[in-house]
Amino acid sequence: MDTSVITDLFDTWTDNALGWIGDNGEWLFEFIRLILEGTYDGILWLLKLAPFYVIAIIAGLLAWRLINRIAGFLAGVALAFCAFMGLWAETMSTLALVATATILALAVAIPIGIVAGFVQAFDRALEPALDLIQTLPPYIYLLPAIALLGYGPATALVATFIVAMPPSIRLTSLGIRMTPREFIELGQASGLSPWQMFTKIRLPFAIPSIMAGINQSLMMAFGMVVIAGIVGSGGLGETIYGAVRTLDIATSINAAIAIVILTMVLDRLTQSAAHRAKAGVR
Amino acid sequence: MNTVKEANDVLLDCQNVWKIFGARSSAAVKAVSDRGLSKKQVLQDFDCVVGVSDASLQVRRGEIFCIMGLSGSGKSTLVRLLNRLIEPSLGKIVVKGREIATLNAAELRDMRARNIGMVFQSVALLPYRTVLENAAFGLEVRGVPKDERNETARAALAKVGLSDWISRYPSELSGGMQQRVGLARALAADPEIILMDEPFSALDPLIRRQLQDEFRQLTKSLGKSAVFITHDLEEAIRIGDRIAIMKDGMIVQVGTAEEIVTKPADDYVAEFVAGISRIHLVKAHSVMRPVADFKTSQPHCDVGALLKASPEADIGELIDITMRSDRDAVAVVENGSIVGVVTTRGLLRGVAGMPAGAPSAA
Ligand SMILES: Nc1ncnc2c1ncn2[C@@H]1O[C@H](COP(=O)(O)OP(=O)(O)OP(=O)(O)O)[C@@H](O)[C@H]1O
Ligand SMILES: [Mg+2]
Repeated sequence: MDTSVITDLFDTWTDNALGWIGDNGEWLFEFIRLILEGTYDGILWLLKLAPFYVIAIIAGLLAWRLINRIAGFLAGVALAFCAFMGLWAETMSTLALVATATILALAVAIPIGIVAGFVQAFDRALEPALDLIQTLPPYIYLLPAIALLGYGPATALVATFIVAMPPSIRLTSLGIRMTPREFIELGQASGLSPWQMFTKIRLPFAIPSIMAGINQSLMMAFGMVVIAGIVGSGGLGETIYGAVRTLDIATSINAAIAIVILTMVLDRLTQSAAHRAKAGVR
Repeated sequence: MNTVKEANDVLLDCQNVWKIFGARSSAAVKAVSDRGLSKKQVLQDFDCVVGVSDASLQVRRGEIFCIMGLSGSGKSTLVRLLNRLIEPSLGKIVVKGREIATLNAAELRDMRARNIGMVFQSVALLPYRTVLENAAFGLEVRGVPKDERNETARAALAKVGLSDWISRYPSELSGGMQQRVGLARALAADPEIILMDEPFSALDPLIRRQLQDEFRQLTKSLGKSAVFITHDLEEAIRIGDRIAIMKDGMIVQVGTAEEIVTKPADDYVAEFVAGISRIHLVKAHSVMRPVADFKTSQPHCDVGALLKASPEADIGELIDITMRSDRDAVAVVENGSIVGVVTTRGLLRGVAGMPAGAPSAA
């Protein structure tokens, strides 16, 4: 029918466009892949340097310092449990994936958020884009990525990167805008330069909000990294995907447990860090 | 000659300053300067709020100048005009001989950092900094090296009695202590003029009184000038060398506490001063009668035998002297000669707050 002609046309057009970008931008995507996989390999190498109990003890100590003794104990034991399930290597790859994607996302999102905090027009323009990113089903981002970067961790990282950015942008911008009026006035009356106003007043007051954004970005990244198992991300996501395809229920449950443990440990750690930042501001 | 010296001593000069808030403020300003509209008319015709209307005041070196008025009378607006946190709609503000409207951004920052300090009602201590770091804030902004600024801040904190609290955070301090840190922050920056916007109004009466005395004594001993905003006339009298009374954005009277209490400019001011105790405000020179006048009414009394007081003696002292004497009158002596006589009736008149010129025979 009439409409199918139009949609077919659109589809071929999209295919052609992606093909063109893939052909002509190859050097660019090669470069992106290099950066992504380089960072990922680096972090993974670091994580694999130490035996599992060292990492579990480090996580336990962190949780003890940031939260309390019980949390420290639980975090250590829970991570060690991942190793006992025989999933330590996968758990570490997932951690490396999440860490890489989140760090890169924050490196982009926080500066964008800061600019949006200052420039209201930019913030307003950004809003619909962020809404769109957050409402589309996350696996959508795998498609263009796989077309341009191919099967492997780089695709998973790009999709995770996109999904992890919006919360940090939003909450950083909010934090910058929410500086209490009386402190802005204090800054003005003390003769602060615009840069001093930013570093000495606005940024410190925004830290709790930025920390909350980091926590949320991290959680988004965890959600995505499991989905990205489909494109050969490696790690627990791929384990689950493979187990589901072969109906290996036991393995898929084990991997799911490992994901939950990893997510909870990192969530608690970053959340309590955010709380501390807040307590500092009060 | 004398006038030139006086002009030099004026640190802060505010000349016919207006501030009109609202979308059509520029049209309102024009109407005000051309046709002299009132605050009410401006609100009706232009939907603009007059924050400050035609305010003029001079703050001299070493003086504590209080601005008193009810809520909404424009005190905060006026004090924010003085360091250009807001721009005047009309009029001129001169600080240390420089018109601040002509300063560029860097010069204005410099003036705020060096010459005009400010203490806020909300204190505005930075919660993520220790007491010491807060007190050193002004110096930090100016780029003073850490050791030096910490030393100055420590000295300022010692002056306000907070030496033991240096490494605490503001949230660990009581309201009165926080206000002291705010004062120390302003003092450490060593400005010539300190602007204070109702700094003590959130505190309980006892602490408040203590801080008022400390503030006055500190400011005087350091030779600073201050503009002190308050909605409490007693506070203004306690602290201020001179007091300006504001009403609806206008300054209705400027004068010393005694002038305002004894000669209120209008009914509004009179109502304010009605409840104020005059015992320590009204001085002998404003309640005494001329010697000749006294002699005609009491020809048998020997003026030279009366106990003596200076013209600056307040009613409290005069009452003491009268109680020690067996007469009902005290002679006022200036430069060795008797310039007047204060009778018991005069004392009562002073306490009751009747103007000196009112018929005393009634
Ligand atoms: N930014 C503003 N925009 C519009 N109107 C304002 C603004 N700031 C102050 N006003 C108005 O100016 C008038 C004076 O306000 P101001 O804050 O100076 O009063 P105040 O004497 O300090 O009162 P208070 O004792 O309650 O602090 C009020 O009528 C107020 O509504
Ligand atoms: Mg006010």
